[in-house]
Amino acid sequence: MTGLFYNLIEMIIKRRKVYKNLSISIGGLIFFTTLLLFVTILPHVSGFSTKVLYSRIFILAVYGMSYDILRGYTGFINLGHAIFFGSGAYIVGIFLTHFGNNLTVLALAILTVLIYSSLAALIMGKIVFKGGGVIAAAMVTMALGEIVRNVAERWREVTMGADGLPFRVPDMFRDRIMIYYYAFLFLIIMTLALRQFILSPTGRVLLAIRENEQRAIFLGFDTKKYKMIALQVAGLSAGLAGAMFALLNRFANTDLLTVQQTLNALLMTLVGGTGTLYGAIVGSAFISLTQDTLLDLRAVHPIFDRWLLFFGSIYVLVVLFMPSGFVGLYNSKMAKLQVRLVQRKK
Amino acid sequence: MAEILMNTKDLSIHFGAHKAVDGVSINIEKGLFTTVLGPNGAGKTTIFNLISGLYKPTRGKVLFRGEDITKLSPIERINLGLARSFQLTNVFPTLTAYENIRLAVQAHSKIGCKLFMNFNRYIKINDKSKKILEEVLLYDKKDFIVATLSHGEQRKLELGMVLALEPEILLLDEPTAGMAIEEVPTMLDILKNTKEKGTTILLIEHKMDMVKQLSDKLIVIVNGKLLAQGDREEVANNPEVMKAYLGGGMTDGTPS
Repeated sequence: MTGLFYNLIEMIIKRRKVYKNLSISIGGLIFFTTLLLFVTILPHVSGFSTKVLYSRIFILAVYGMSYDILRGYTGFINLGHAIFFGSGAYIVGIFLTHFGNNLTVLALAILTVLIYSSLAALIMGKIVFKGGGVIAAAMVTMALGEIVRNVAERWREVTMGADGLPFRVPDMFRDRIMIYYYAFLFLIIMTLALRQFILSPTGRVLLAIRENEQRAIFLGFDTKKYKMIALQVAGLSAGLAGAMFALLNRFANTDLLTVQQTLNALLMTLVGGTGTLYGAIVGSAFISLTQDTLLDLRAVHPIFDRWLLFFGSIYVLVVLFMPSGFVGLYNSKMAKLQVRLVQRKK
Repeated sequence: MAEILMNTKDLSIHFGAHKAVDGVSINIEKGLFTTVLGPNGAGKTTIFNLISGLYKPTRGKVLFRGEDITKLSPIERINLGLARSFQLTNVFPTLTAYENIRLAVQAHSKIGCKLFMNFNRYIKINDKSKKILEEVLLYDKKDFIVATLSHGEQRKLELGMVLALEPEILLLDEPTAGMAIEEVPTMLDILKNTKEKGTTILLIEHKMDMVKQLSDKLIVIVNGKLLAQGDREEVANNPEVMKAYLGGGMTDGTPS
């Protein structure tokens, strides 16, 4: 039985060599086709809440990936990452409320999100990369996040403060099926772009910084510059994810700017696997689906009114038994199989 | 006398009351192989840290081609052509051997911050990385994760990374430390080839056989102070050196 299994894996690996340029294996092909079919058919056969749930998974996955660029690839713990996400949502909301509800305004809003995120990343980087280590950076970014959250809360004329800011969106984003597809397209584009980024020479330097910053410096890399680039890329992606999130929810509130929102991204990458990029997608799906299931269970038994208790326990179990996350575990299993196959040939 | 590539003047660093390096002035001549000798804790590595810019000296200067580089950052010094290895192996442990070398080649190639081009498309960098892996005899291990390589292989890898920077002067901190005996000769061969290509090498070592084979010049450091410097034979037969470092009786380069 195990022999058969090994032969199957061996076949897949051989095939992988044939299709090396596409980096597609037969197993992978089947998996992705099924996934794509599922994702395409889903909005046509499911209700309102499922569509919104999956749209949210797609958008939060991008947010999680942007966080992974920092924590997984550069080794920098940013506790103010919600600044980019929340501000992106707020900027879209403010523009659509105050300057009219049409696509031109939305385009301007997106442009503003990009400029704002870039500037915010620049300021954050200038402060944090002065030195002081990972913990100092975490504390400083948390403080910056709180500052931005406070501004959003106090600036009532523009943001409606703690009540939150509801707004209308242009017609093309009103249909739930359409926004589901936009969100999916957004995820695909951002995944490809970020994948390309981490496979680029710059992305490889980020890995080097995470592994051993001193060595990277003594190879002649200006590590501060590279960390700044990582923060820029992560900030821009998170800002865009925030803008998409606002278009989905038609609502922005200060929750999007809290440390909790940053921790969501951290948990997504932890559950999915840090430094794997795709881990954030798996993490986003896992967290949203678990949360949704637990909330549904409230109808079954009143104990699930305390759903956070179960949610927390699941986190602890995942971190305890899969410290490298779903994707990390999969990668290491595959690597071990490959080693065993090589040994078997000998 | 050959051209002086690098020298230090009255180089000193004090950690509190402890004078780790005290008034060391050394000359390193272009194209030669210079070895810094000294007992443990003599301040050899500290001198390297001062030269490479990891520490700032309390007093004194480091000059490269006659220009003062004391105030430059490590990165600026590397761009001038000064590369170093570390006493404790210093590589990127979870990346493959190939990627380690490729990062070094990339650093030297000055391709800048290319964001969205796949690394595999940079054919020149990839070819050069493979060549260097062959030079340090690690080509057949190129896809291995570095953490799974033996200590000796990791040291060779680190040397390869430093060589990829094509430095004018190479600072090597005990490159054979902790290596298995049978691996040492290959390391020495790599060093010999590097020297023959015209690279100036400054090396920290305490193994005498190593010194005998390769060095042109010797520098002896004891208790943070310069004891002697000069040609190999001259320094090795210096009675003060014999007394302080070797306890006397070194005629053929090995302590008796």
